[in-house]
Amino acid sequence: MTSLALAQILLNGLALGAAYALIALGFVIVINAVGAVNFAQGELVMAGGFLSIALAPFVGDAAGIPGLLLLPLVMALMGLFGIGFAHLAYFPLKNRPPVAVFVSTIAIGLVLQHLANAIFGAAPRAGPPLIAGDGPALGGLTLSLQQLAVLASAAILVSATGLFLGKTQTGRRMRAVAQDPEMAAAIGIRPARMIALSFALALALAGAAGLLLSNQFFVSPNDGGLFMLKAYIAVTIGGWGRLDGAVLGALLIGLFETLVAAFTSYLAAEALLYAMLLAMLAFRPGGLLPERTRSRV
Amino acid sequence: MFLKKTALVVLIFSAIGTARAETLPVLVPITGFLSLEGTAQRNGAVMAVDMLGKELGLETEVTDTGTSPEGAVTALRRALGGAPSAAVASMLGTQMLAMIPVADRAGMPLLTVSGTAKITELGSGNVFRFFPGDSVVKVAHAKYAVEELGAKRPALLYQTTAYGQSGAAHLKKTLAELGAPLVFEEGIDISVKDMLPALTRMQAAEPDILLLHLHSGSTALVIRQARETGNPLPVVAGSAMHQPTTAALLNPEQLKGVCAESASSPVSEQSGPVADFTAAYRKHFGTEPDAFALAQYDGTAMLIAAKKAGAQSADDVRAWLAGNSYDGLAMTYKSDGKGNMAHDAVVVCYDGASRVPAIAKRYENVDGIR
Repeated sequence: MTSLALAQILLNGLALGAAYALIALGFVIVINAVGAVNFAQGELVMAGGFLSIALAPFVGDAAGIPGLLLLPLVMALMGLFGIGFAHLAYFPLKNRPPVAVFVSTIAIGLVLQHLANAIFGAAPRAGPPLIAGDGPALGGLTLSLQQLAVLASAAILVSATGLFLGKTQTGRRMRAVAQDPEMAAAIGIRPARMIALSFALALALAGAAGLLLSNQFFVSPNDGGLFMLKAYIAVTIGGWGRLDGAVLGALLIGLFETLVAAFTSYLAAEALLYAMLLAMLAFRPGGLLPERTRSRV
Repeated sequence: MFLKKTALVVLIFSAIGTARAETLPVLVPITGFLSLEGTAQRNGAVMAVDMLGKELGLETEVTDTGTSPEGAVTALRRALGGAPSAAVASMLGTQMLAMIPVADRAGMPLLTVSGTAKITELGSGNVFRFFPGDSVVKVAHAKYAVEELGAKRPALLYQTTAYGQSGAAHLKKTLAELGAPLVFEEGIDISVKDMLPALTRMQAAEPDILLLHLHSGSTALVIRQARETGNPLPVVAGSAMHQPTTAALLNPEQLKGVCAESASSPVSEQSGPVADFTAAYRKHFGTEPDAFALAQYDGTAMLIAAKKAGAQSADDVRAWLAGNSYDGLAMTYKSDGKGNMAHDAVVVCYDGASRVPAIAKRYENVDGIR
């Protein structure tokens, strides 16, 4: 394999991993906020993809306006849906065993899948191109503008999420609620509001991932399970509860999948990925970056 | 007395109604990875009944089988409660393999467009396949690549599903017989999104043509990523590529040099009965028809022809389907004794300027059954 081909494969792996990172981030934010796994995260990514397809004509897709302009709108709408999601899937069940929340998120995921099937049909669809035009060719390496846009957007969103949660007052309140809701309430923070905001942020990131993935890799109503699985593996590898761990795990999965497949086969890559997951669970159950604070899960 | 007479009249009319009306179960995958093809299958069956079966009082009841064998068997068992004389059964090979023993025990014919070779090799008398099996379309696929495009070093990417493995086996065998054995092959899981690793390793084998036997999304992903990375190899793909929804995922220029095998290509026909079918289908469903829709339309139309010829029970229908030929829109259908009803194939090619392919070659009576 030439170094050029290897560079191309690495670029593809990074772009895939960056989009997985957004999915995994949303996943971790919900885990931290309420101590429950949102099993609809994959379907929410799919919903973000279809939302961008539905909105594209209204913002001038036909006129060649880049899909990246849709990103804030898709994130805002998915964020609003996130507040509704919290009131539907979490708040009515918050005093029940965590399995009730698992089941409610699975149910919402299935509803979303069937809704997408009914509205958009079963066929895979291509989302709006993120940037118009072809990418530059650097010494035989084809740099797809779509891939570069995915990488740049994901990097910006991951950094912004980290800054928001670490540096802003709202972010700190969200983290305080995640760590100890009773104590947070005692000092005047409204936990319900912060939890709803956490769902909004998680869904906004899922929506962004859906938009970023939909052009390069297409989207179909049945893709949710795949996205969910990747997020779950990323979080397990990176470390439950750690935002940086989720990003690291997702990037590793993207690179691992493409590199191993390039040198062996897809079947070997898949088998090795799950073998790696098993080894991680056996020898380092906390993941590569174990959680430093008390876990609520 | 009046009440007795009224009750008798009601009884007679309801008995007549029961005898005339029949609900045809349509048990197909509308959700899951085969939902695109399954939806086309459903549409074809529903359209045939709507257009041709009304005078018989025939109606359809569609059940989503998903993609699991259990889902298909459950749907079939439930359908058997209505004692239908036949059912439209899933095009997914693994589901068909699970449904066949159940249908055999009940003695009910299954009409399908499944391409998996094995479903007609189990010795069941209840399977009627209206889509050319791999022994037909994969022969056309390989012949077009070798005889028309001059391929000597073909590479193959196939899906790891039962459909993919069955087609890959037939392609390998036929290519070897034609003196052009594969120089590279790789199975691709339905969940794989990045095709570049396979394309990169394939290039090292220096193939002169790329053959695909993949489902819709994977087909489009391979072609798109190949073209984006400057791979100019000619492509002869499986029937998923001829579907308008697959072509819609690619730019016309990315489709340049791409061909596909199929049983038929309704959107490519500019006039005649198939063009009329295409127009009616668009009006009915608001989408473009594909070969699966047309094949299932023809299959259901043959069932309706059997009923119009007097076949009422499941035994009558099975005997009629097994012993008669039927001139459908796509081709003439006749059982080869195993329930393989379709024996023709076409290869369509895209010109790089449009997403509507042209029929490049017709292969008639490939397996010698007429």
